[in-house]
Amino acid sequence: MSRAVIAGVGHTPLAARLERSAWALQAEAVRAAVADAGLTPSAVDGLITEPGYSQGVIEGVTPHFLRLGAMLGLNPRYTASEVIGGASSVAMVQRAAMAIGAGLCEVCVCVFGDAPSQAEGTWRYGRGDDAAFGLFGAPGLHALAAQRQMALYGTRPEHLGAVAVTMRHHASLTPHAQQRTPLTLDDYLASRYLVEPLRTLDCCLISDAAGAVVVTSAARARDLRHPAVRIAGFAQAHNLTSFAAADYLTELPARRCGPAAFQMAGVGPADIDVAELYDCFTIVVLMQLEDYGFCAKGEGGAFVAAGGLGLAGALPTNTAGGLLSEGFGGGMLHVIEAVRQLRGGCGARQVSDAEVALVSGHGLGMNTHATLILSRN
Amino acid sequence: MDAPRPVPQSDAVIRPFWEACARHSLCFQQCAACGHRWLPASVVCPRCWAAGAEWRQARGEGSVFSFAVYHRAYHPAFEPLLPYIVAVIELAEGPRLVSNIVGSAPGEVRVGAPVRLEFLDIGDAALPVFRLAPQGA
Repeated sequence: MSRAVIAGVGHTPLAARLERSAWALQAEAVRAAVADAGLTPSAVDGLITEPGYSQGVIEGVTPHFLRLGAMLGLNPRYTASEVIGGASSVAMVQRAAMAIGAGLCEVCVCVFGDAPSQAEGTWRYGRGDDAAFGLFGAPGLHALAAQRQMALYGTRPEHLGAVAVTMRHHASLTPHAQQRTPLTLDDYLASRYLVEPLRTLDCCLISDAAGAVVVTSAARARDLRHPAVRIAGFAQAHNLTSFAAADYLTELPARRCGPAAFQMAGVGPADIDVAELYDCFTIVVLMQLEDYGFCAKGEGGAFVAAGGLGLAGALPTNTAGGLLSEGFGGGMLHVIEAVRQLRGGCGARQVSDAEVALVSGHGLGMNTHATLILSRN
Repeated sequence: MDAPRPVPQSDAVIRPFWEACARHSLCFQQCAACGHRWLPASVVCPRCWAAGAEWRQARGEGSVFSFAVYHRAYHPAFEPLLPYIVAVIELAEGPRLVSNIVGSAPGEVRVGAPVRLEFLDIGDAALPVFRLAPQGA
């Protein structure tokens, strides 16, 4: 049980092009989150950052927290940068909870931000020996996973399409979402393959965006602006051996860190009212439903086809549209949406009586995973 | 003029694998202590951490663990090859590797299909690629 809470959240607009640097977006998100908490810059004594994909390549020489901290005028008691890909945002909140719990700092800001429209595009190229075979980027790795699951479990294109269509519907109810144009299953099935069996609509958006949260102690949060959201449980698990692992393309490390996070929080899959699942590709949502125990292995497709991810479904998921339609917030927007759902007041997309939320982060192909369980009380 | 295809960027650990490929020999590592076999190359056995792995030549038979069909080129060298097939191959000896399936249309490939090794020469390097094994072979 952690005594840390999330007291503030904030983010920039999400768009394909904002004409601003990643630094400016990160600073705006930090300012918004600290203001949302009802705090001022002088209260911040912890800073945890994620460089983003474009900055990770271009600005990689200087540690990211060092330059952002300098621009924000911070001399914190605790700082770090996370570099575990799409699991970094959840990992940042976990690291903050540990730092708060250990008394290393009292008000810790976690921020992800990126401006891919301002980058040179080197991030698109494969690395090392995989590039010799034309295996480039995340779409190829996730297409390999989708293909194997189609062969082993009978996962169908319509199942992947149901994920994309549901996320788009949720985005249509979310004023700040980047992609709100209605989408039907027929639209999905008519769309072109990118890396077969994945279509363009199986892939997340690319966004200029930043998001930040303020983590503090329950005691410090008592007189702040919003009722605090408790960080009830968290865990990580990783698969560093990639293709050598027996179940690499059909099982995520979520199968190992999910139960650990549930145990810390004292809840189980049936207690989760809202899920914010990292959705860089549709197939990853199906895998997580199975690996977290929301349904049996191989039944993720049937779960989503039956409307399981909808706002009134068995597991309302990615209620603002996720990476697929809300926009690419590196996973931090998933944390922010979970906090908003637990606070209430999300309008048309509000899940009624949302008390416990699960947030996941998934990164670096299928190598890293992090789980966060948040609670209203 | 066609863009050159990316060549393997080996460090000292991986280099023996690619040097063997250049001689049209596909090799994996085997632990002298526990017998575990693996790819990609490591500095110790990934199972028992013993040093002193031996390089062994693969028979060149395996099966398709999974595959993906690229309909878009992320590098100009692959544009003329579209659609091309990236696959993870499981060798008969156990280790898996990323490769290509050549000589087949995407619709002919299945997870689990048996494949045979061949080499694709690119300058001084050679890539281990695979072709679907003939039916009933």
